[in-house]
Amino acid sequence: MSHLRRLITLVSVGLLVGSVDGSAADDKAGIAFFESKIRPALVKHCYECHSKDAKKLGGKLRLDTREDLRKGGESGASIAAGKPDESLLIHALRWEDNLEMPPKEPLPEPVIADFAKWIAMGAPDPRTGPPVPVAPPVDTRTTHWSFQPVKKPLVPEPKAGDWARDPVDRFILAALETAGLAPTDDAPPETLIRRLTFDLTGLAPTPGQVAAYVEDFRTHGQRAVERLVDDLLASPQFGERWGRHWLDVARYAESNGNDGLSRNPTFPHAWRYRDYVIQAFNDDTPYDRFITEQIAGDLMPAEDDAQRDRQLVATGFLAIGSKPAKAMNENFDMDVVDDQIATVGSGIMGISVACARCHDHKHDPIPTRDYYAMAGIFQSTETLWGMAAYEGLTAPSTDLHVLKVAQNVPPPAGFVETVVPIDSNTGKPRAIPKSKWPVGTPLAMGVRDRKEPADARINLKGESKKLGDSVPRGFLSACVMPGEKTVTDGAQSGRLELARWLARPDHPLTARVMTNRVWLHLFGQGLVGTPDDFGIYGDEPTHPALLDHLAVRFAGEMGWSVKSLIRALVLSRTYQLDSTADGALVEADPGNRWHGRHLRRRLDAEAIRDRILQASGELDLRPGDGSAIRHRDIMVQLAGSLHQPSNHRSVYLCYLRNSPPPELAPFDLPDALGVAGRRETTALPAQSLFLLNSPFVVEQSRILARRLLAAGSAVEESALAAEAIRSVLAREPVSGEVERAVALVRDADAQLRSLQPDATLRREWAWAGACQALLATNEFRYVD
Amino acid sequence: MNPPVSRRHLLRSASCGFGYLAFSALCQQHALGVGGDLGDKVARIPARAKRVIFLCMSGGPAQLDTFDYKPQTGNKKHPGSVFQFSQHGESGLWISELMPETAKHADKLCLLNGMHADTGNHAQSFHQLHTGDRLRKRPSLGAWISYGLGTENQNLPGFVSLNTAKPQVYSSAFLPTVFQGTPVGVNGEDMSKATIPNIRGTHLPASLQRRQLDLVQAMNREHQSRRAEDAALESVIESMEMGFRMQAEAPGLLDTSTEPAHVLERYRVGHSVSMGTCKPSDFGRQCLLARRFIEAGVRFVEVNHGSWDQHANHRRDLKANCEATDAPIAALLEDLDQRGLLDETLVVWGGEFGRPGLTPEDGKNETGHNANGFTFWLAGGGVKGGHVHGRTDETGARAVDGKVHFRDLHATILNLMGLSPNELTYHYEGRDHRLTGPEGGRVVTEIFA
Repeated sequence: MSHLRRLITLVSVGLLVGSVDGSAADDKAGIAFFESKIRPALVKHCYECHSKDAKKLGGKLRLDTREDLRKGGESGASIAAGKPDESLLIHALRWEDNLEMPPKEPLPEPVIADFAKWIAMGAPDPRTGPPVPVAPPVDTRTTHWSFQPVKKPLVPEPKAGDWARDPVDRFILAALETAGLAPTDDAPPETLIRRLTFDLTGLAPTPGQVAAYVEDFRTHGQRAVERLVDDLLASPQFGERWGRHWLDVARYAESNGNDGLSRNPTFPHAWRYRDYVIQAFNDDTPYDRFITEQIAGDLMPAEDDAQRDRQLVATGFLAIGSKPAKAMNENFDMDVVDDQIATVGSGIMGISVACARCHDHKHDPIPTRDYYAMAGIFQSTETLWGMAAYEGLTAPSTDLHVLKVAQNVPPPAGFVETVVPIDSNTGKPRAIPKSKWPVGTPLAMGVRDRKEPADARINLKGESKKLGDSVPRGFLSACVMPGEKTVTDGAQSGRLELARWLARPDHPLTARVMTNRVWLHLFGQGLVGTPDDFGIYGDEPTHPALLDHLAVRFAGEMGWSVKSLIRALVLSRTYQLDSTADGALVEADPGNRWHGRHLRRRLDAEAIRDRILQASGELDLRPGDGSAIRHRDIMVQLAGSLHQPSNHRSVYLCYLRNSPPPELAPFDLPDALGVAGRRETTALPAQSLFLLNSPFVVEQSRILARRLLAAGSAVEESALAAEAIRSVLAREPVSGEVERAVALVRDADAQLRSLQPDATLRREWAWAGACQALLATNEFRYVD
Repeated sequence: MNPPVSRRHLLRSASCGFGYLAFSALCQQHALGVGGDLGDKVARIPARAKRVIFLCMSGGPAQLDTFDYKPQTGNKKHPGSVFQFSQHGESGLWISELMPETAKHADKLCLLNGMHADTGNHAQSFHQLHTGDRLRKRPSLGAWISYGLGTENQNLPGFVSLNTAKPQVYSSAFLPTVFQGTPVGVNGEDMSKATIPNIRGTHLPASLQRRQLDLVQAMNREHQSRRAEDAALESVIESMEMGFRMQAEAPGLLDTSTEPAHVLERYRVGHSVSMGTCKPSDFGRQCLLARRFIEAGVRFVEVNHGSWDQHANHRRDLKANCEATDAPIAALLEDLDQRGLLDETLVVWGGEFGRPGLTPEDGKNETGHNANGFTFWLAGGGVKGGHVHGRTDETGARAVDGKVHFRDLHATILNLMGLSPNELTYHYEGRDHRLTGPEGGRVVTEIFA
């Protein structure tokens, strides 16, 4: 029986047999039984957590007065008068229904039998008198660092004061000196341009760019670095790289992913959100505005239709999450809300709020009430995910935002959808329902307010049918900052107020979390090692004062400009350190916690593919247009591969959940099921196999070979090898390399003679093998 | 991460092959960590098993309706088993009607009915089951074993994870990445077709591909020699070799079409049960692949089925989960036995926790999580067959006798493999880590055959 139904039963029983429950029924024998059997057991086993002296009152239940015991706690009334088998108290003592009391060990059977007997007797109880107030629980938020206000710390004065370039360097150097360490040398200019180009755009510099920069650096030093950095920040490739970092946080994907019943509908309009994010980073949209648009863009004023469209698309942030199937799932609506709370919680605040759906957070100061305060905001919000491939068992179809400025793009002439919905009863194909919009109407996923916003009621144990108290819509109580903690305009969902609360410069988490994300992508690890968890189980910052210093600058003088923050960090001396260092430094700080050197990093999945295309000369730097699935509202698992060949940058590939682009899949792509602020870096044999055998790498190697050989047969082999090294590794060959590559080509040519009699084709084949070898080197995949 | 000296040592030893790498890593690590005699200690423990197949039942399988028989003992009904149980084999083990095929192998099973864990939270308990730690990124059991013993086959990784969940469960974490599990198929993928992508290349003859890889590795070594402090680069060089060598054997192993029809039928290959929480996993093909990988010399194979988290429709979904796994497991046990492999192959069955029982006839059909008492079973690999170790109380609510925590299970598995569980350590970030954690685990010697 559900708790709700039980509650209703209890109420009606109570009405009918009220007299049994009255004090008149407490005869002497009953009182004696209570005093001899029940009171001692309550005192011994229950009062610790369920009395006025409890340090923290369990389940809002007190058992030390007659009235409180009858009233019950958050799960409802403890006893059903005269009916032990229907009493929650007995269920709990019997360890049924997940209500297991006492929690450590069940009471002996005879004691439980006494309680049952007592309830059957009408629960006689002499403990009358006014209830005594319970002391509030201990407030852990006063102690944990990340909930404290960000304060501008003093910049330290390290001994080697002239080493520092930015205040950042003073913090780093002071900590190194305290650890008895000294930073390694500055990185050579050839290394620095590769690092900067990769970090800021995800691409490699051309050999010409390297040469020009090295020359400029020799003459102008840091001025040259500044020029390079400003050029890179201004290039459209910047947004494609940094936008992708945010898309990991936003758990961006273009399909729902397995709904639990193996169905995976496409999200044909999700790509608009991708483009919005890339554009926002290229425009350097201030971060406070950026998050506000994503949470409440639909509620913000817009000067024109273009701005209106953009802000509507931004709210796709809340709609692109993976949903569990609707079928048989009474909690579906709450599951959608839960994904939104989890994404805002971990993504923007670095705090896992989601556990509080079912219980007060076990370790972080996030009470269940806070969860439902936020849940009320999102329950008052309508989420527009679209048709979900016309399968109501996965998710009921919703409206979508209709854009005004975006172009109407119909499917290409002659396009016929071949993947049709399957009738879940008969298993037979059924016709594709006609869209309510004209073909090609520009649509976007997103959110809008419901007509009648309302506060949420606590879902006991996370079940939407077991309702507890209603909680005013609001924000996290744990964050130490002045001002409102609840929504003031009851006529709105409260999203705009939530966004503005998050975007306050004095919010203890927002600026710290984003600063740490930026640091992570530039230095290979965060000042806080767990970018999505600033809670009690997350890592403590290695440099707390530096984190605050940067957060203050970011939300203050920099006006939340991500480009300004990146610029300051990459121009620091710390960022420009070499990645090699003497053994003593490495041994003293193997994880580079103190940043005495720069961490070497493997390229991520997107960068590996982009740079292979760059090396082969095939990379198309124009932005990708839409998506391979923009006209296809279908089930991915019925469709075979939906991925299309493309020479655009990887960020424009089709990111389907459970069906990632095959050129990216081996290299630790996140699954997009939750916020992923930091990617894994594995070195699985599957990656070696990709480099050795994948059709993509083989094909690009051929193209590169063909391009080299197009220079004509008169070119010497050593010159070809040198050019191949320049194309792939963006540097001049070093001694022996050219000879080794040429030797491979000659061996290959000899071995392939029986397979390919045509000398021209054979030469191309052999060179393709050598080009592939270069693409497979560690040097190609790692950045110093 | 280690001081550079040990990594250089590793790199040199890498040329001697994968197994040697693991062994030398072990000795080297030990020399750094606890004084130089672990090699001896490792050698001194006799190995009862050579390999492990872990049948990972994610979601919390209901032990009271499968292997932990709780009949009604009084007048008043209490939570217990709601399916029929009967005794099987010479040992008379009580097994439920939901596992008729597995029950035929009752005399091979060693039931651990007193399992307990720290938390009823799926993600954390699943993580602890695999790594010993609930929260942090730590090496998985298979990675530890692979690290301790290497692989018996140079052409295959020591650790293969089928139908795997998240990378954390096959992660090598701070251990060298060569000990990481190789995933074949991830949750949600169609396991009947799951393979290792790009395992075959046709663009170059094999000898030429080797020649090509030699150039790659020569450049990699040169690159690495200028960056001697970076352990990751060494692991990548080794991983490159492993990928290359896998091409020789993995495609054949993954191709189950060469098995006779009656074998495929026995394993129920291609039969997928989909009902409620029970997700299609082609568990039969997983079990068959597990046998084939084990035969080929892989140390640790994990297969996965789920979810056993049948909150809402306990009876229906539990039946489906049992139906999906029962016959394949029986076929696996039978084949291992017939081929003489069971003696040295430890088969482990269980999930992150169990479930409380239902009370018969009260009409309820929902179950929650129970980490206080649940069941694992072991078979082969030097443990007693037809044996029950440990016990839960009358209602199955908690383990009361012969209690075995995950760290004790880990210690027992390592010990059976000939690895000293509390001394198999790896030095990382300033201290020695081990699978059994700071508390250490107790080896359950009572179950040794």
